[in-house]
Amino acid sequence: MAGKVKTTNDLPKGVERLKEEHRQVVTDCKSQITHWRKMEKDYESLQERLDTLPDKLSYDIMVPFGPLAFMPGKLIHTNELTVLLGDNWFAKCSAKQAQTLVEHRKKHVNNKLDDLRKVMKNFQERAGFTEDLEKMTSATGDFVDIREEVGEEEAATKGKHRMAHKPNSKPKEEYVVQLEEDIREDGESNKGVLSEDELWARLDELERLEEEQDERDRLDSPDTNGEDTTSSSSEEEKEADAGKVAQVNGHGQCEDQAIAPDVDQVNGISRPQLDEEGTEEQEEEEAEEEVSGLPTIYFSHTVEPKKVRINTGKNTTLKFSDRKEQKQQGKRKKKNGKSNGHSIHEHHKISTPADIYRVFVDVVNGEPVPRKSILKSRSRENSVCSDTSESSTADFEERRAFFGRTHSYDEATHSDASDGITEEDGLSHISLRPNGRFEAFSGTVVEKDPLPSSIPHLTIATPALPTIPERKQEEVGSEVPQEPPKRVSKFKAARLQQK
Amino acid sequence: MAEAIQRKLQSELEKYQQIQKDVSKSMSARQKLEAQLTENNIVKEELYLLDSQNTVYKLIGPVLVKQDLDEAKATVAKRLEYITGEIQRYETLLKEMERKSEQHREVLASLQQEYQRAQGLPVGKLPLWPTAI
Repeated sequence: MAGKVKTTNDLPKGVERLKEEHRQVVTDCKSQITHWRKMEKDYESLQERLDTLPDKLSYDIMVPFGPLAFMPGKLIHTNELTVLLGDNWFAKCSAKQAQTLVEHRKKHVNNKLDDLRKVMKNFQERAGFTEDLEKMTSATGDFVDIREEVGEEEAATKGKHRMAHKPNSKPKEEYVVQLEEDIREDGESNKGVLSEDELWARLDELERLEEEQDERDRLDSPDTNGEDTTSSSSEEEKEADAGKVAQVNGHGQCEDQAIAPDVDQVNGISRPQLDEEGTEEQEEEEAEEEVSGLPTIYFSHTVEPKKVRINTGKNTTLKFSDRKEQKQQGKRKKKNGKSNGHSIHEHHKISTPADIYRVFVDVVNGEPVPRKSILKSRSRENSVCSDTSESSTADFEERRAFFGRTHSYDEATHSDASDGITEEDGLSHISLRPNGRFEAFSGTVVEKDPLPSSIPHLTIATPALPTIPERKQEEVGSEVPQEPPKRVSKFKAARLQQK
Repeated sequence: MAEAIQRKLQSELEKYQQIQKDVSKSMSARQKLEAQLTENNIVKEELYLLDSQNTVYKLIGPVLVKQDLDEAKATVAKRLEYITGEIQRYETLLKEMERKSEQHREVLASLQQEYQRAQGLPVGKLPLWPTAI
């Protein structure tokens, strides 16, 4: 057989050849560009001439006779021009009309020039890439340093920013420090050193990681954004506060602190418990960060339209976006919870039923609140959604609020229409106060389980339930956008009870 | 045996080269047509910029023949259609020729293999036999 096996020796030759071809294309482009630019200049001088030509009725000129001689003569009818339109077509026109034609041709020339320039740039970049590729393959090992410059403003948070219950407490930093200690100790949580608060924080962290893991298993793969929710929930956990209160306006600071250590942790070190976060970071930012000091790829993150996923009763997720566009742009932090997170970012065009929800948002309390389908199942939503992003509570809030609205509201049906109907029946006994403000649910609350109402937590076992104690809690009076319907382990419950 | 293969190889090679030439010819013809297409497009646009007050001439040989503006527009449009039709024709032709050249290439490759085998066997037959066992 003719040897088609590419040995390692062929690779540099191939690369050389590729680079050669690239260079060839680039030089071709350059020559063509010079040619077209000459044409452009010619047209410009022609325009000048056309400007001045009709100034006089006739000009005294030297008329060329053949290739070698000139004769004195006059240029008359200075405004009458016969223009070649192309393909053996001529037209008699005035100087001004001729100018219009010239302008039109210049447009064409400019288009050609632009195309050529783009092609040239393209190929130059390609040449650059091949060089980088070559460097990479020849470099040591499989490690590549991919750097991405992330501005503070650009890191987008999905959903709401969370505020600590106790703004003055600083468990986060300690926690962060703790985590770094953990790193040093190769990922083992050093409980002996932790104080009690930190211990709880640590527990929270671990719980959250577990949840993330569960979520990840559950989430669809196409939803790359899913990781964001988990990561965002990891963010929340990091705050290490007992109650997770979703604050629409965000608290930025805490999250930033969380972000930085996250990034640091991710760098170059993969820890078992932090690995998820690392990957989440990775997916969120779409860049791996490994500090290895090797060939560096500079990556720039393109902000994609953030999608919000709403968990429907059937454990399917709908992409629902565009909820907090303003907030998003105002305070871009780390992306927050995904499922039930409300990060918006899409443009106002309707191509799917979901878009309608996105576009038609109500502004409630100064925030855009998406309208929810009346058919949407809420209680199951909340339960299914394992993510404890605070935005989910807002979502929940809206839903409940919406429920209080006219039932004649008919938007495009969601996919969980059937779910919604069944859910509605279940919820029908709950009377809602349809007021203009979409606030906490008021009315009778039916508790099916004897859950301590003071503790805003849910249990996974009873899907329909979690909503109720939450509602009650909200009714009691937290004005802040609500508790996320999150699952809380009994440890946490116990701890909260202690407090 | 080897000579027969060689001869076959030669003929196939010639056929392949012929097809390649045809392909390149059609390619250049098509490129010319494309240039004409763009030119006629420009003419059409420029004709629209004019009004009927301007006289339009067509160069036929050494003569500039006066034409009506609308007539000119119609003529240019028809020419454009003709050119696009020609381009499509050439496209199909080109594809056909590409296919044929591909076939020939494969035939050539297989013939080459045979030839090499035929070449290789007589030379290394004896040494191979013992090792094969």
